[in-house]
Amino acid sequence: MAKKPEKKKTPAPGRKGGSNRLVIFLALMALVPFSLPTILVMFVGLLPTIAAAVVERGTNRYAWICVGGLNFAGLAPWLFSLWFGHHTLEFALGQVTNVTMLFVAYGAAGVGSALYLALPPVVAAIMSATSVQRATGLRSTQRKLIDSWGESVSKSDEFH
Amino acid sequence: MASDQQSGAGGSVSLRDRYLIYPGTPLAEFATPSAQAFHAEDRRDPTKPLFALIVRPGHPARIDAMRAIKGSESPGLMTLAEWGPMDWPPLNRKVMAVVYERPGGGRVMSSLTAEFKPLDEADLIRKVVSPIFAALREVRLHSVTHRAIRPTNMFWATAEKDRIILGDCATVLSALEQPAVVETIESSMCHPAGRGPGSYADDIYSFGASVALLLHGRNPVSHLDDETVLRRKILHGSFAVLAADERLSLQTSEFLRGTMCDDPHERWTAESIELWLSGRRLSPLLAKFEKRASRGLPFNGKEYSTARELAMAFCKNWDAVAQLVLDGRLELWLRRSLDMKDKADAIAGVTREAVMAVNDKRAAAFDTMVAKTCMVLDSRAPIRYKTLAAMPDGIGGLLAEAIADGTDLRTIAEALMREVPKGYFETRDAYNPENSLMDSSFREQKNFLDRATLGNGVERVLYSMNDAMPCLSPLIVDDYVLDIRDLLPALNAATKKVDGKGWPIDRHIAAFIGARANFDVERQMSDLTLPDPERAAMAMLNLLAVIQWRLGQGGLQGLATWVGGLMQPSVNSFHNRERRKLIEKEIPRIARDGNLVELARLLDSPEERTKDAHEFTEARTEWLAAQREIANIEEGRSNNEKALRFAQQLAALVSVTISLITVVLLLLARLL
Repeated sequence: MAKKPEKKKTPAPGRKGGSNRLVIFLALMALVPFSLPTILVMFVGLLPTIAAAVVERGTNRYAWICVGGLNFAGLAPWLFSLWFGHHTLEFALGQVTNVTMLFVAYGAAGVGSALYLALPPVVAAIMSATSVQRATGLRSTQRKLIDSWGESVSKSDEFH
Repeated sequence: MASDQQSGAGGSVSLRDRYLIYPGTPLAEFATPSAQAFHAEDRRDPTKPLFALIVRPGHPARIDAMRAIKGSESPGLMTLAEWGPMDWPPLNRKVMAVVYERPGGGRVMSSLTAEFKPLDEADLIRKVVSPIFAALREVRLHSVTHRAIRPTNMFWATAEKDRIILGDCATVLSALEQPAVVETIESSMCHPAGRGPGSYADDIYSFGASVALLLHGRNPVSHLDDETVLRRKILHGSFAVLAADERLSLQTSEFLRGTMCDDPHERWTAESIELWLSGRRLSPLLAKFEKRASRGLPFNGKEYSTARELAMAFCKNWDAVAQLVLDGRLELWLRRSLDMKDKADAIAGVTREAVMAVNDKRAAAFDTMVAKTCMVLDSRAPIRYKTLAAMPDGIGGLLAEAIADGTDLRTIAEALMREVPKGYFETRDAYNPENSLMDSSFREQKNFLDRATLGNGVERVLYSMNDAMPCLSPLIVDDYVLDIRDLLPALNAATKKVDGKGWPIDRHIAAFIGARANFDVERQMSDLTLPDPERAAMAMLNLLAVIQWRLGQGGLQGLATWVGGLMQPSVNSFHNRERRKLIEKEIPRIARDGNLVELARLLDSPEERTKDAHEFTEARTEWLAAQREIANIEEGRSNNEKALRFAQQLAALVSVTISLITVVLLLLARLL
């Protein structure tokens, strides 16, 4: 057998976070036998959130939170029924096959997604309006400065 | 009354509120070649016969002599009653007037060619020597020289003609009007304006020469020009030229030989004359002649046997001299034919110095070499450089006359810049502490000439070397400003004549201030020439303010208004427009008070300037920040990013909030 390179014995700096995640994953896996119904319901009910979290890229990852929030809100009544009623696998299976639950949970996720897509243009429009006002205010300040100090106040290497 | 008749037509002008001078009544019999004479009157004693001499405008007078002899009651001196600048309506300007008491008799000799009754030897002491010797002692007592002793400037003190007195000596430069016949050989070699105050020995020589003429009853060399007279004096001696033909007693002859001795070291002194007057016999002086060469030196078609003659010939043929010196003929001639080893060595040294000069400096070095050669050949002669011939203490006067006459100044300036006077002092036979002082003064003048900026140059040299020179600035030339105290009032008066756009300080005024101010104005003077017009104008104001402050002069409304009007660049140098408006409003108020000091404080306050600059920097930073933000808004860069981020955050927040509310409500529904 070929000998493995020695450098592999030293874990890479980024591997520590990975091992933590592994520990959490293993801990959750250990809980699976005790909360399998919840996991089943949540896995099926929160599929849009899981998809959004997996798909989303970039530094500002807010889409999965937005979808997830409402998705969870839509799933919450069925989860509560499971937790406060029959916390069994049969009951859970019944719930996940319930069209109403799926409709409500996925619908709520859809609303979350719609919220995520619809809000930026609205905010941009509002902010644009305030920016024009801000620019006007700034120009007025500049005019006042020129009135007080003359054109030389605007003589800057950066803009001239 | 005689006085009334003389007052004649026209009004009078007052000098120092006491003496009335009548421009309409000229008195030709008391006029000098340069100064017109007019009838004058003393308000306190109208019976006293007076006349006034008016100094030629623009020409320097001898203020030191005026100060010295004013009020002197010497029996051989015309009494100077008063002097000072005064308004002179015929010229519509101020002039220098000198008021004298009128002598009772007329002028002794009307002109140098005139003949008169010769003076009897028996009357010599009583009528001439005693009074004039008393006059010489009087001027010597005041540390000045007369330098205007000649028969044409002598008057009979009384109608009985029992005593001769000396006339004016203060209205022109020392010895300016002296003919060569009564001047020493050295003084005759000079340009008349460059003779300088000289020494007491020069006065004694003129005294002796004048006595010789008085004894003749005429000028024995009147048919000769000054140059021939000079040449004859060099060749035969002054006594032989002026008195040898006359039959004189031994006593008189002794006096004339002593006073007209051509060697200033052997010439009679005041003590000698006193001894002679008291009847003591002194050892008779024999004329000393120049050492003659065994073989003449040919130069410019003539042969010269004495060093002095040769030096004179050199000065007349300046350009031909260098070759003769450089090829060693002169040195050889001095060494072999004249047996003057010291002079030969000195010429060799001067030549070595000149040949070491490189290319463009060679011509200047050769000119200096020729000048030094002349000094070595004739060590008693004046400084001679090209067409210039002046005693070291006469160069200032020569420059003043040249400026007044509008003649070329280049030779004088060149001589000073090439340190020709230094060469003169280096070639002296004996050490004289006065020479060291003059040498350092000439070095200073050279520095002024090297810097051609405002406050320096030939104007500065003019005022530095001539204490009696009034300021020649076209702005105030009519005000005869002699003292720095009179400068600001004159400028204040000049505001009526100027358009107010030009500066009140020109080259002449700056140089005048530099030379006359006895307080430190160097910083302001040097700032006058700064390239920045605002700083230069500020320096001008500061300079005038310093003068006003130091002299404690007020009421200069005209000048302050004039200067205030020129301060716009300075006002504009403040960045804040509000501050500018305030200052512009303040300037007329301060100008009305005539306070230049306050004006300078307003415009040049360091606190205000610092505050303005600091606030301007802040304003500029603010403007720049606004400009950056506007640019960002216009480009839409930050807006899009911000809006998107904010909207996403908001959506996430709304979503999570709904979720939390739902969970809480469901929990509450289950629990309640």
